[in-house]
Amino acid sequence: MPAGGARGHQSCSTPASLAVSSSDGGDLEALSDADLVSNHLAAGGGGGSIWLQELFRRHYTKVVTWCLRVAGDREEAHDLAQGVFLKAQRHLGAFRGDSKVSTWLYSITRSECLNYLRSRSSLNDALDDDLAEALPDDPESRPEHVFEFRSSVQAARALLDRELTDMEKRVFTLHYGDDVPLLTITRLLGLENPSGAKAYLVSARRKLARALQRWRACERLNA
Amino acid sequence: MAEARSRERLLLRKALSPSYACATPLELGGLADGSLARPATARLRDHVSGCARCQTELTLLKEFDNAAPRPDEERAVSWISARLERRFSEASAGPSPSRIHHGAALPRRSRFMALNVGGFAVAAATLAAAVAIGLREGRAPELAQPSATAPTVLRSAGITTLSPAGDLDAPPNELRWEPRTDAASYSVQVMEVDYAELWSAETHDASIALPPAVRARIVPGKPLLWEVVAKDAAGRAVAWSGKQRFRIKT
Repeated sequence: MPAGGARGHQSCSTPASLAVSSSDGGDLEALSDADLVSNHLAAGGGGGSIWLQELFRRHYTKVVTWCLRVAGDREEAHDLAQGVFLKAQRHLGAFRGDSKVSTWLYSITRSECLNYLRSRSSLNDALDDDLAEALPDDPESRPEHVFEFRSSVQAARALLDRELTDMEKRVFTLHYGDDVPLLTITRLLGLENPSGAKAYLVSARRKLARALQRWRACERLNA
Repeated sequence: MAEARSRERLLLRKALSPSYACATPLELGGLADGSLARPATARLRDHVSGCARCQTELTLLKEFDNAAPRPDEERAVSWISARLERRFSEASAGPSPSRIHHGAALPRRSRFMALNVGGFAVAAATLAAAVAIGLREGRAPELAQPSATAPTVLRSAGITTLSPAGDLDAPPNELRWEPRTDAASYSVQVMEVDYAELWSAETHDASIALPPAVRARIVPGKPLLWEVVAKDAAGRAVAWSGKQRFRIKT
């Protein structure tokens, strides 16, 4: 079953593949994602259509899997995925065909999932408290001091970029940039180590604390 | 300690939020599959190689594209997919392909000719679709068009926005959304497409006027985003609209 679909304006703006047999599903499967979008819109775009059903069928697995990893719960993941597809249906007329349908669906899924996570932010805070317990309690070693002394977002970015591994940066970005809970990050990134994203976060914070100590030592030498 | 943690979190959030130069998910998709225009590719590749935010987004996009249920997820994914399939099959109200035309073996041009004789209604719909998805230029973000037939999103944490959305003839005078019974106030934000804030405000109503200074920054062809968050009496966020896009026609 094709999942990616053809790209480009031509296939999307010319609904030539409206000429499809309804006697079997074989022809539907031969159509690109962009053709399915085009045919659905050419048929009026309201409600559902056989093209929309086929389009969504191709992408249920990836959207549902993603939503399940974000929600961690079957019922909530269902509601979340339903919201994604309803939004996709509602905005399909704005799909311009200059990206893959799956990329376009990803942008909707991402937005819906972040909104969902924000609606549960009080739970995230509880998780952070757990994390704080696991961290060194010396206030001097906390990385915020690095940022206070550097006193700029630019410096913080440079420090993160220099000190952290790629995976630590991803965990940091999702957790601190988007408020994604650590368990969700573990599932989204497919981390298989025993403590998942938490291990990367703790490791990253220790590195930043050590960077602070080095920086202080340099400051003393220069004083 | 709590205050320090809060400060740290704020600074990290700023450092890890998208900057003006960051790529959109659609650009990252084009970068990943090689379909992005060459000048944009060079610029974005340089940026992405040194940007934790973009690298993370690219990783997530690839994970999404290759997402297949792991063994412990398979049953839940099958169950949800089956429910969704039923949901969208039941909602089906469009014509079956046989009502439009038979003849998959026809070449593309001939099939398009066959479509033309199929009736004015289909031709008009085709034109509308072509205008909607094929004839737009530039690479502005996708724009939502209000639709009378649009399905209602049933999730309880959402806010239905009313305007502005999509292509507009003139700068909007106000932002409007459907009120929620559990909301005591609303927080609204107007942003650039890179999420840089242009303006934000609080209101108790389901609409808010845009100040002249903000309207002056809404120029033709430039897409902008806006978002509304509903808050309860204690100031806790209870619902989000998600980011809505609009622009003035050029």
